[in-house]
Amino acid sequence: MRRAVAGEAAASLPHLLSPRLLAARNALARAPMRALLLALVTALFWAGSFVLFERTLAYFQTITALGPLLTQRLLVMLFVSFFALLVISNVVTALSTFYLAADVRLLLAAPVSYRRLHQARFVETLVASSWMVLLFGLPAFLAYGVVYDAGPLFYAGTLATLVPFLIIPAAIGVLITTALVLVFPARRARDGLLVASVALAAAGYLALRLVQPERLASPAGFAGFAAFLAAFEAPASPFLPTTWAAEVLIALLGARAGEPLFYLGMLASTAAVLYLASAGVVERVFLIAWSHAQEGRSGPRGARPLARWLRRAAAPLPRTPALLFVKDLTIFFRDASQWSQLLLLLALVIVYVYNFSVLPIDDGSTLAATLRDVVAFCNLGLAAFVTSAVAVRFVYPAVSLEGRAWWALRAAPVSLTTLWWSKFVIAFIPLGILGEALVAVTNRFLGVTPGLTAVFMATLVFVIAAIVSLGLAFGAAYPRFDSRNAAQISTGFGGVVYMLSCLGVIAAVIALEAWPVSRLFWHGAAAVPVGGVERVAIALAFAAVAGGTTALWAIGRRAALRYLADLQP
Amino acid sequence: MIRCIALRKTYGSVVAVDDLDLEIETGEIFGFLGPNGAGKTTTIRMMVGLLAPTSGTVTLGGHDIRLEPEAAKALTGYVPDQPALYDKLTGLEFLRFVGGLYAVDASDLERRGADLLEEFGLEACADELIETYSHGMKQRLTLAAALIHRPKILLLDEPMVGMDPQGALALRRLLAGLAAGGVTIFLSTHSLGVAEELCDRIGILDRGRLVAIGSLPELRARAAERPDLEPFDTSLEAVFLSLTAIVGGEG
Repeated sequence: MRRAVAGEAAASLPHLLSPRLLAARNALARAPMRALLLALVTALFWAGSFVLFERTLAYFQTITALGPLLTQRLLVMLFVSFFALLVISNVVTALSTFYLAADVRLLLAAPVSYRRLHQARFVETLVASSWMVLLFGLPAFLAYGVVYDAGPLFYAGTLATLVPFLIIPAAIGVLITTALVLVFPARRARDGLLVASVALAAAGYLALRLVQPERLASPAGFAGFAAFLAAFEAPASPFLPTTWAAEVLIALLGARAGEPLFYLGMLASTAAVLYLASAGVVERVFLIAWSHAQEGRSGPRGARPLARWLRRAAAPLPRTPALLFVKDLTIFFRDASQWSQLLLLLALVIVYVYNFSVLPIDDGSTLAATLRDVVAFCNLGLAAFVTSAVAVRFVYPAVSLEGRAWWALRAAPVSLTTLWWSKFVIAFIPLGILGEALVAVTNRFLGVTPGLTAVFMATLVFVIAAIVSLGLAFGAAYPRFDSRNAAQISTGFGGVVYMLSCLGVIAAVIALEAWPVSRLFWHGAAAVPVGGVERVAIALAFAAVAGGTTALWAIGRRAALRYLADLQP
Repeated sequence: MIRCIALRKTYGSVVAVDDLDLEIETGEIFGFLGPNGAGKTTTIRMMVGLLAPTSGTVTLGGHDIRLEPEAAKALTGYVPDQPALYDKLTGLEFLRFVGGLYAVDASDLERRGADLLEEFGLEACADELIETYSHGMKQRLTLAAALIHRPKILLLDEPMVGMDPQGALALRRLLAGLAAGGVTIFLSTHSLGVAEELCDRIGILDRGRLVAIGSLPELRARAAERPDLEPFDTSLEAVFLSLTAIVGGEG
C-alpha cells in the first residue's frame, strides 16, 4: 500500500513541517510581549531548577563513600521518570498528530507518501512531547556538569544521548497509538488516554506529597533521602534505554569508569530500529487506521440519564439560567478534557487539607501558637489561591468553550446581562462551596475560633465573587475558539494574566486584613475586649476589603459585558 | 416587517456595508445576492443582533434590534452561514435548548422538536451527539432550530451550502410554504437558481452597496437600459453579472 515515489519528491520534510514553523513565527511576530514573558518565566524556572539540583548534587559529594552511588541512582531515577512521562506523552500526542489533526486530510489528498507523512508527523510528535523533558531535564544535566566540573565532552555527550533517548519513546508512542486506533475509535481512545494521564498525574502528585518531601528540609531528612536513594532498587536492567543513557553520562562525568560509546551505540541503534519499525507499520496500515479513526462515537440510544437528571436538578431555577446550567454541565461531563480536571482538583484538595493536618502546632509552645495564628491568616490567602487556580481552569475558559456556537445564544431573545448572571452563578456557587469548605475544615485543624473563621469565610465570599467576575471578563477579552481543550485554553496568555490578577487581588486583601486580624488574634489570646477606636479601625479595614472586592466584581462584570457584546467567534 | 435604514458598518477605513436601505413586507421572500466579500453576512449579522452597526437602524417586526433586542429576536429565526453547534449535545438536546431560549412551552417543545427532526430527516440520529453529524445534517439541524419557535421572520445566510439536491428541494418547498403562511424570509445565497425560482424580490449587494433591488423583471429591465451592453440572455445570472460589472467599472 505504498504510494507513488513521485510523492516523496513533491513534498520534502521541511516543506511538510513549514506550516507549524510559520504558525509559530507568526504567533511570535504578533505577540512579542507574550513570547518575552514566556521566555522570562522559562528562564526563571530553569534557574530555580538548576539551583535545586546543584545543591542536591553538591550535598551528595560530601558523602564520601556513597557520593558516586547516589549520583548514579539520582540520574537513573531521572531518566526512568522522564522515560515514563515521555511514553505517555508521546502516545497522547501521536493520537492527535497522526489521526485527529485537521490537516491530515489535506495531506492524504495530496501526492505525499505515507513514509513522508510518517516522517513529518513523527517530528511533530517528538517535539510536542519532549519540550517538558527538556524544560525539567536540561537544568539537571547542567547541574551535573557543574558539580562534577565536567569538560565539553560531557555536554556534547548529553546532547548526543538525548537525541536517541527522545526518539525511542516517540517511536513506542506511535506504535501504541496506531495499535489503539486500529481497535478503538480515535475519540474514545483519546478520551481514555486523557483521563488516564490526568489520573496518573493526580496520583503522582498525591504520592509525592504523602511521602512528606518536607523532611528533606532537615539534615536528618536529607540523610534519610540519601539512604533511600542508596537503597533504591531502580530498574537498572542492562536492556533498558534509561540504563544506557545513565551509563553514558556517568562515564562522561568521570564518576565511574564505563563504556559511553558502547551505550551510546545501544541507544542510537535501538532508536533507529524502533523508528524504522514505526515507519514500516504506519506505512502499511495508516490508511486503515486513519479511516477507522474517523468513525464517530455512537452513544446509547434513547435514554441519556445525565441530561434528564440535570433538567430535574435545574427545575427550580429561572428559565434561562436553568437552560444554561443543563447545557453547560451536560457538555462538561461529556467532554473528558474538562471533567478529567476534577481528578487533579481532588488531589489538590486532599493535599491541601493534609498539609494542615501535619503542621507542628500542637506542642504548646509560644512558637507553635504564633505559627498557628500566622498559618490561620495565610489560610485565607491559600484558600483563595486554590480557588483562583480552579477558576483559571474552569471559569476563564467558560466563554471560549461556547465556541463558534456562540451565535445560538446571541441570536436568541436573551440579554447579555442574563447570560452573564447565569455564567456567574454557575461558577460562583461551586467555587464558593469549595473555598468556604477549605477554610472551615482547615481552621478546625488549626483550632481557630468560630468568630475569626466566620470573618475569614465572609472575606472569602467577596474575594471569590471578584475572582469569578474577573475570570469571565478575562475569558471574554482573550477568547480562544480554536481549542476545545479547557486545559489548553487556560494556559494561554490571557489565562496567565488572569492568574496574576487573582494573585494581586489576594495579596491586596491579605495586606488590608493583616493588621485587623492580628489585632483580633491578640485580643482573643489576651482575653481583652476590642476598644472603641480600634473597633472602628478594624471595621473600616474590613469595609475596605468588602468595598474593594465589590468594586472589582463590578468592573469585571462591566468589562465582560462589553467584550461579550463584541465577541465574534 | 424588516426595515433597514441607512445601515452602515465600517472597520477602520474599510466600509463593509454602506448606507443600506431596505424594506421587506410580511410574507415576502427576499433574496440577497452579491459577490464574495460584498457584505451579505455582515448585513445579516447586524440584522440579527450579532454585530453592532456603525450607524443606522434595523427594525424587525417593529422592534429596533438595538433598543428592543429581545423582542426583535423573539420573532426571528436565524440560520448562520457555518453551522457551528454544541458537539457534545444530541440533536434533540440542542433543539430543546434553543426552544427553551425562545420560551417555547415545554410540552409543545417536545412535540415540536420531534416533528422538526422528522421533517428534516434527523429522527434516526436525534439521540446521537452532534459531533457525529455530517455537515448536511448539522445544516438541517440548524434549520430545525431556527423554526422551533415558529418565527415570523427567518434570516438565512447561505442555507443551501453543503445540501444535497433533495435537501435543497425540500428547503425551497419549505420556504415557499412558510412565506405563503405569512413568514417573512430574508435569504442570502450564491445560488442564482434558488433566487430566481423562489424570491419575490432580489437585492444585489456589491462592495457594501445595494446596487439593485426589485423583482426579476425589474432587474432585467434595469440591466437592459445600459446602451453599451450587448444583447444578452435574461437569466438572473446575466443580470447579476452585468449589474455588478457596471458597478465595478464605475468604481
